[in-house]
Amino acid sequence: MQKRPSFEVVPNVLRPTVPADVGAKSQRQRIIEALIDSCAEKTYAATTITDIVSRARISRTTFYKRFADKRACFDAAVAFSLAELREAALAAHSPGDPPAAAVRQAATAVLEAMARRPGLAQLLTGDALSVDPAIFGRYRRLVIPAIRGLWAAAGEEPQAHLDPRVAFGQAQLLIFNEIAAGRSEHLLRLLPEIAYLAVAPFGGHEEAVSQSRLAAGSPAAVASRA
Amino acid sequence: MSGHLDDLRRWRLPRGRHGLPRELVARSQRERLLAAVVRVTAENGYDSTTVGDIIGEAGVGRESFYELFADKLDCTLAAHRVLVDHLEQEVRSAYSRPGPWPQRVRSALECTLCWFAADPAAARFTLIELSLVGPEFRNRFREEFARFAALLDEGLPESADPALPHATSLAVGAALTRIYEEVLAGRAEQLPRLFPDLTYQLLVPFLGEAAAREEQRLAVTPQP
Repeated sequence: MQKRPSFEVVPNVLRPTVPADVGAKSQRQRIIEALIDSCAEKTYAATTITDIVSRARISRTTFYKRFADKRACFDAAVAFSLAELREAALAAHSPGDPPAAAVRQAATAVLEAMARRPGLAQLLTGDALSVDPAIFGRYRRLVIPAIRGLWAAAGEEPQAHLDPRVAFGQAQLLIFNEIAAGRSEHLLRLLPEIAYLAVAPFGGHEEAVSQSRLAAGSPAAVASRA
Repeated sequence: MSGHLDDLRRWRLPRGRHGLPRELVARSQRERLLAAVVRVTAENGYDSTTVGDIIGEAGVGRESFYELFADKLDCTLAAHRVLVDHLEQEVRSAYSRPGPWPQRVRSALECTLCWFAADPAAARFTLIELSLVGPEFRNRFREEFARFAALLDEGLPESADPALPHATSLAVGAALTRIYEEVLAGRAEQLPRLFPDLTYQLLVPFLGEAAAREEQRLAVTPQP
């Protein structure tokens, strides 16, 4: 079994300590988090509505008030997870950063967010594939233009050194491989590769190698190898 | 898994339910079931496939099925293993040919692309349907991914100094992600066209851009 994510790290108003009269939004959120945790433990396919409602400490009726079915809840969980990672990526760099450094910082922040909460990574890289094999294409359309945009914003014509679609798929596979092996605590060891894959498509191999080395020397990466 | 199953791919092709080739009928029931589960699952999808479909396609009785396999999943995973064993064997032999390392990588990649292109049903079964089998997918994915990364590692010359610690996993990932996408889009037969571009993508982390371009130029799309 995988190591469960530690919720102490992420302040969460929705733990069972909150009063029962929390708003509808937080109840919905609690259901989403229950699905993410259950998928992390036993995968989406094996997760039942009963698993979700017992983790979220709600009734089936409440579940069905918020979501039409397990799939609808899953889609909401994917949207939530993507928003979390997007927020981490955006917070990790400032508008003035050179594009390659910005992308490295964003990629590092995303991987750190996944390491803090492996359920997100399991959901997005593993389970999503089982639910909708075309899902990688959907993510990619969110991520690649954002990365290309960083180069464009810096006034540099983005040049495709490596196929960004392949790089994106490689990153997902590497992450899922760690998750599948139950090594979510080692996710940060992938920092050099993830930084490389994020930078290489538009920054080129040489730049990607430099950024990869910087990522490997970051405190998080060093700690992950300790 | 016994060695005589390694030729599953050769007799998986009969079309339709009629006229199964004689050589196929002569094979053991287990082999027929393995070939059947590949065909039926690739066509109907894993979820919609039933044991009834498999035994119908194989011409094997239900009782015999359950003597050989615990359930549909068991049969699916057994067939998956046979196919991936076969792929690994082919790739290993391509990769072991004498020659400089980049050339051997090219030949392993070409072999991989042709393997998937040769049988779109097996390609779909091996890559796409596997992700739908449930929790066992994780284990199987991890095992097979590690197997191909190890294979690439074994042949890596001492002198190779990739810029990244997990460069061989990256290379396997590049091939897998691109092949997956083409197979998902129903374009397995056209996979050999990816040979030049994928060669470049695979080799850049090891060789840098200029040398990888040179290898890309040498990677000529194989003709069917």
